[in-house]
Amino acid sequence: MMEFCKLSAAEIAEGVRGKKWTAAEVLEASLERIKKYDGKINAVVTLCEETARKEAAEVDAKVARGEDPGLLAGVPYLAKDNFCAEGIKTTCCSKMLENWVSNYDSTAVKLMKEAGAVLVGKTNMDEFAMGSTTESSIFGATLNPRDITRVPGGSSGGSAASVAAGYCPIALGSDTGGSVRQPAAFCGVQGFKPSYGQISRYGIVGYVSSLDQVGPIARNTKDLALVMNVLAKADYYDSTCDAYDRPSFTKALEGASLKGKKIAVLSGYDKSHVAPELLEAIDKTAAYCKEQGAEVFEIDLPVARKHAVACYYMVALGDASSKMACFDGMRYGYHEDGKNLTDMYKRSRNNGFGKEVRRRILIGTCILSRGYFDNYYIPATRVRQMIADEFTELFKKADLCICPIHPQLPYKQGYVDDKPLRVYLGDAFSSISNLAGLPSMSINTGFTQEGLPTYVQLIGPRFGDDSLLAAASEIEKGFGAPECASMEGVC
Amino acid sequence: MARQVVIGLEIHLQLNTKTKLFCECSTDYIGATPNSNVCQICLAIPGTLPIINDHAVELAVKMGLGLHCTINDNTRFHRKHYFYADLPKAYQVTQYEHAIATGGYLDIVVDGKKKRVRLDHLHLEEDAGKLVHPTSDGRLSGASYSLVDYNRGGIPLSEIVSMPDMNSAAEAIAYITQIRQLARYLKVSDGEMESGSLRVDVNVSLSNPDGSLGTRVEIKNVNSLKSIERALDYEIARQNRALDTGEPLYMETRLWDDVAGVTRSMRNKESARDYRYYLEMDLAPINAKPEYVQKIRESMPEMPWDKRDRFVEQYGLSFEDSVKITEQLEMAEYFEKCVAQGAPADKAANWLMTEISRVLNEKGICICEFGVDAAETGRLIAKVAAKELSNTQAKDVFAVMIEKGCTLEEAIKASGASVGRVEGGALEQIVRKIIDGQPEVAETIRSGEDKKGGKMKFLQGLVMRETRGSANPAEVAQLIEKLLK
Ligand SMILES: [Zn+2]
Repeated sequence: MMEFCKLSAAEIAEGVRGKKWTAAEVLEASLERIKKYDGKINAVVTLCEETARKEAAEVDAKVARGEDPGLLAGVPYLAKDNFCAEGIKTTCCSKMLENWVSNYDSTAVKLMKEAGAVLVGKTNMDEFAMGSTTESSIFGATLNPRDITRVPGGSSGGSAASVAAGYCPIALGSDTGGSVRQPAAFCGVQGFKPSYGQISRYGIVGYVSSLDQVGPIARNTKDLALVMNVLAKADYYDSTCDAYDRPSFTKALEGASLKGKKIAVLSGYDKSHVAPELLEAIDKTAAYCKEQGAEVFEIDLPVARKHAVACYYMVALGDASSKMACFDGMRYGYHEDGKNLTDMYKRSRNNGFGKEVRRRILIGTCILSRGYFDNYYIPATRVRQMIADEFTELFKKADLCICPIHPQLPYKQGYVDDKPLRVYLGDAFSSISNLAGLPSMSINTGFTQEGLPTYVQLIGPRFGDDSLLAAASEIEKGFGAPECASMEGVC
Repeated sequence: MARQVVIGLEIHLQLNTKTKLFCECSTDYIGATPNSNVCQICLAIPGTLPIINDHAVELAVKMGLGLHCTINDNTRFHRKHYFYADLPKAYQVTQYEHAIATGGYLDIVVDGKKKRVRLDHLHLEEDAGKLVHPTSDGRLSGASYSLVDYNRGGIPLSEIVSMPDMNSAAEAIAYITQIRQLARYLKVSDGEMESGSLRVDVNVSLSNPDGSLGTRVEIKNVNSLKSIERALDYEIARQNRALDTGEPLYMETRLWDDVAGVTRSMRNKESARDYRYYLEMDLAPINAKPEYVQKIRESMPEMPWDKRDRFVEQYGLSFEDSVKITEQLEMAEYFEKCVAQGAPADKAANWLMTEISRVLNEKGICICEFGVDAAETGRLIAKVAAKELSNTQAKDVFAVMIEKGCTLEEAIKASGASVGRVEGGALEQIVRKIIDGQPEVAETIRSGEDKKGGKMKFLQGLVMRETRGSANPAEVAQLIEKLLK
């Protein structure tokens, strides 16, 4: 049998279009691999076998009729469980939505379908995308396919683990403060967070309107670019999704070069807080860029360095408390009766949400309350603007910025319970691109001797997603795109 | 001790759009099956985002321009948070500090005096759903359950907030009436208070003798002009009494009880509530660029007060008549079409306010549903003015026009008025016959007893009836006089 798990999305689609294999065959291989390994890894929470078979058959029928089956013809993919897909459960891995079936397609799912991609299932995540380890899901923790004693990162941990485990070549996640890039990094694959406003957020149960962005996870940059070609479109249903003509992201990769590129390497932070393997990854990346003819220099972003985490949590949690208010037990989701209306809200929300979600809602409610709003939220939005300004200045001098995506190698399981604040601080490097609305990706630079992935973050200017992907593809050539994990050794 | 009454009003106008403010659901909720006009967006189904209804923005801008406001570009929405069963997102999307229109004013006329009421702003917001409490008396307390209808949730409203510039109930009523008239002229809202398209919250206080503002009380639940007037009268008296007796007044929200005719304190901590106003990041700022605003400005009809003043000027109508004729745009347009057909302005106005208004009242319809074309009516009035038809004939003809919806000519034929005028020898014969039939009356007139001319009028009437109005009344009078000599 063909080892589809080793193929990229581009190769699979090409094979389907060229009748080398059928979408149905590819799908069965994907399902088989999920069934074989996911009992252990727990990356997939809902498998949509029936609808997926129907979708694959439609793609094959199109090919048979000689019609264009789309850019992602027959490519199986998984979506984080906060992407709405009609008729399929969207639980956000919370008791609040445990049995909730969406009655509409998110724009992302709709566009993937139109491009011929086949939705195989929904992936595990931190409850309502609030977390960095995918351990707060009501369906239990996901394990990291590169090392099952470690977390896959979060909150899109299930999506990253699925790609690393070879379930499918691409998966979709949502990134609020690093939730696509950090788990991609932890699982040893590539994760991309586009510019804010690049992809429609419609139908994604996000939690921070001004930070959330849909992002693809894949094993190579070409597949990321391919998904970007499909998803990056203005959308009537999302007024924050910019109405401008997107470039071809795949075309940007052709003939890309690092020669003459100006690359800023972030400095000024306390390097003792960053794992030596990850500092080394940055040095190696910088050295490679130099070799390829890029001009590399160091840069400090003092405001971002000092205030990003505090600013991020002020902005994010304030918004989260507002966004999460619609889960009131009235129209859908978890409901408990109460003595009166207020009591009903209290019981439903208290027992429907998990600990981390409740914590964030409470902090956020406090931030937006009279008195606190002016003293905390407003200054945070000013700091946010200052961080964005710092980057604007930076990108007058540089084409690209290299920095850590995360200060540590993948955590051992249970770490978050020991050191929750430490885990919050892990967002210091990843959240800056969300605050500034910038495109950013985590790229794998290889593996340690113990087999743990190493990674760096690349940040580009706003709507410079195409050139960022182009530069990333060149850097990827230096390190080699990661293969999927050899699951035999893991499970 | 002269305390001045100080009144400020907040008017909620339901905008006349086909779809809701943030989704494509129908706004046609009256009589609709509960929860039939709802979608994933207006029910706040997870993952949905609002989409701004451009038409609602356009209507708000139109109303703002009509009220002489400044239209602001890049205005934003806020979220106003509170948990309630009729509010699906648990926040209402409203314009909190970036209203689309600010400033402005409205000139009202009370007792012949013009007065300017300044406005604070006009903003856009979504309506909430509706709760139904199924107890026998329809009250919340005692109901074992409540039902929610989200059809109204998300319907676009514009809230017009005035400055506290009104000093009497009459001024408040004039202000509301004129806002409603403007909304209807601009086709921004139907402005019906009964159906809730126009809702008013009243703020009232009495100024202290030193001129400083007194305790402000808000009155909600006033559903008609009459109840606003009554509520204001009651509240002014209550506050005066409290100030006289030294009773304390609280800054509070009071509900108007229309049955009991009193205002009652709502007794909840509404004012202490923290709404956590927060920018709505899911909606981009509204673009109301100068070119866009200019385009809307150019599409605006003549303002009602301009029309009113022009009618006085151009047609020589009295101010009062002009107010009545221009009250409704359709009525004013009907009037001008009549005049364009040669009907004298005063006669056309009179005809509208008597004949036509009577029919409209009887049928309970508006002039826009009136079946007779203004051009036909205009020509009819012109014929009367030219003495080609008597008043009586014209009324007969008009009745036919209303009944059959036919043209003037057809109606004249059908009513028999087209047989031609009875005059000369034929008319003399009829007059003679009438006089012969009324010898006592004829004698009274001959002997000069008919000092007030009543008997004369009586004979004339009989002749006109006999001729079915087709005689010239002046000729009839002449003939009677001649034959009685
Ligand atoms: Zn709707």
